[in-house]
Amino acid sequence: MEIIQNFLNAIQGILQDSGLMSLGWQNYVMIGIACVLFYLAIKKEFEPLLLLPIAFGMLLVNLYPAITAPDSTTLMNAADCIKAKGTTEGYATTVINGVQYYNVPHYGGLFYYLYKGVKLGIYPPLIFLGVGAMTDFGPLIANPKSFILGAAAQIGIFITFIGAIFLGFTDAQAGAIGIIGGADGPTAIYVTTKLAPELLGSIAIAAYSYMALVPIIQPPIMRLLTTKKERAVVMEQLRPVSKVEKIIFPIVIVVVISILLPDAAPLVGMLMFGNLLKESGVCDRLSKTAQNELMNIITIFLGTTVGATATGANFLSLSTLKIIALGLIAFMMGSACGVLFGKLMYKLTGGKVNPLIGSAGVSAVPMAARVSQRVGQEENPGNFLLMHAMGPNVAGVIGSAVAAGVLLNVLR
Amino acid sequence: MDLMSKLTISASMLLTGFVIVFSVLVFLIFVIWLLGKTITGAQNAATNRKKFKVQQSVTTPQETTEPVKTEEKVEKPVASSDTSEEIIAVISAAVYTMYGSKEKVRIKSIKKSSSRSAWANAGVLRNTRPF
Repeated sequence: MEIIQNFLNAIQGILQDSGLMSLGWQNYVMIGIACVLFYLAIKKEFEPLLLLPIAFGMLLVNLYPAITAPDSTTLMNAADCIKAKGTTEGYATTVINGVQYYNVPHYGGLFYYLYKGVKLGIYPPLIFLGVGAMTDFGPLIANPKSFILGAAAQIGIFITFIGAIFLGFTDAQAGAIGIIGGADGPTAIYVTTKLAPELLGSIAIAAYSYMALVPIIQPPIMRLLTTKKERAVVMEQLRPVSKVEKIIFPIVIVVVISILLPDAAPLVGMLMFGNLLKESGVCDRLSKTAQNELMNIITIFLGTTVGATATGANFLSLSTLKIIALGLIAFMMGSACGVLFGKLMYKLTGGKVNPLIGSAGVSAVPMAARVSQRVGQEENPGNFLLMHAMGPNVAGVIGSAVAAGVLLNVLR
Repeated sequence: MDLMSKLTISASMLLTGFVIVFSVLVFLIFVIWLLGKTITGAQNAATNRKKFKVQQSVTTPQETTEPVKTEEKVEKPVASSDTSEEIIAVISAAVYTMYGSKEKVRIKSIKKSSSRSAWANAGVLRNTRPF
């Protein structure tokens, strides 16, 4: 009889601890959203390297919320401490009203510790290190005017800031939402952790989703704002860039930006350090590590922990819907401003610049440049805009880091 | 936050962001342009110095033995200054290979082609085909 009672008690205990009893309806909705993201990442291949870890983090935290639980300390008297831990040795003591208590620590969940890298702003700059090691700034050095297009595409950030303010967000939250328009995941995460950490899940998911949707969002805007003649412009071949220029470029950029905008230094600094590792040609092992192993490890940590911020209670709110709408506006405005400045350059250069390369000014490397190439080839199959679009594209990375520096400086 | 405060913060952020981002990036344009000019200039000067030294080392012994022939060579430049002798040699070899040893081939001028060949187009297309 006692055996059966023990068995029933055990089953009851397991059931009470299980998700069936502890999870709310929001958790199940989030599990459904995670499954949609799995579909988009695996079947549609929308930014799978990040969307898949994000979706898995989201799934895991909604199945087992304690995975993000912070560490804590329980005060126990000597008897309880011995009962629980078998000893009182090695525990710090606190005396309250003449009674000695032992500080027994409870360790946090796995994601609590991994999330420290996001919270302390460590992962985004490390991702930038890898991005820098993979980026060829040659097209930008050959045609520095591309910086204009990289700057123009950042206007969407500040226009969206206004929209967010009028939708009731605080100025810091509005800045974090606006940065979605920079179309740069690590920058968006970096700025959000500093300005509005409570919105991190929604902003990161919106940013990566829109980056994945670049081939769908941008072409209609590009076609709407340009004429057939403008889209068909064939640009002159870029001048060759010497090795010395490529080596000096990252050093000059980091010096200039760190002096003018110190808040952008962690992102731009690591981006340029990664690029210098690659271009110097003497740190091949470090460059390869930054591009591959380190980048992949950080991507896994970043993706899963950012996904884990999207708990049902956090994510399923009106503010998330507002963020998703504002993110789309930010993205569209950024692309439109880039194309409009491209048109301006087309006029000023007497038709030598194809305005389609302007939309690549939103970072989203190299997807945005590929979209410029594809839309250009629709008008003229012999037109190769890819390398021309890579200039504004990598300028956009620097531009969004500069915009992030401005937001952090003004709003923090 | 009242309407006036919202308008004020919105306008100031738009203005600040626009001006600073453009100023910094325009400044970078100037810096990178200057860098490009300086390095290209220095490299051109170094190349010219090298060419001049090579020319001197070639012409000096010829002047002592056959001064007349050297003058003829100087009057007939075989290539423009921006095409290196190695490039001319490679192009000549390619042309010679195509026409065969029976044809007499002489390279008169080498010009950069404005349009890509079908092969080059195919190569570029393969490397840049999106999605």
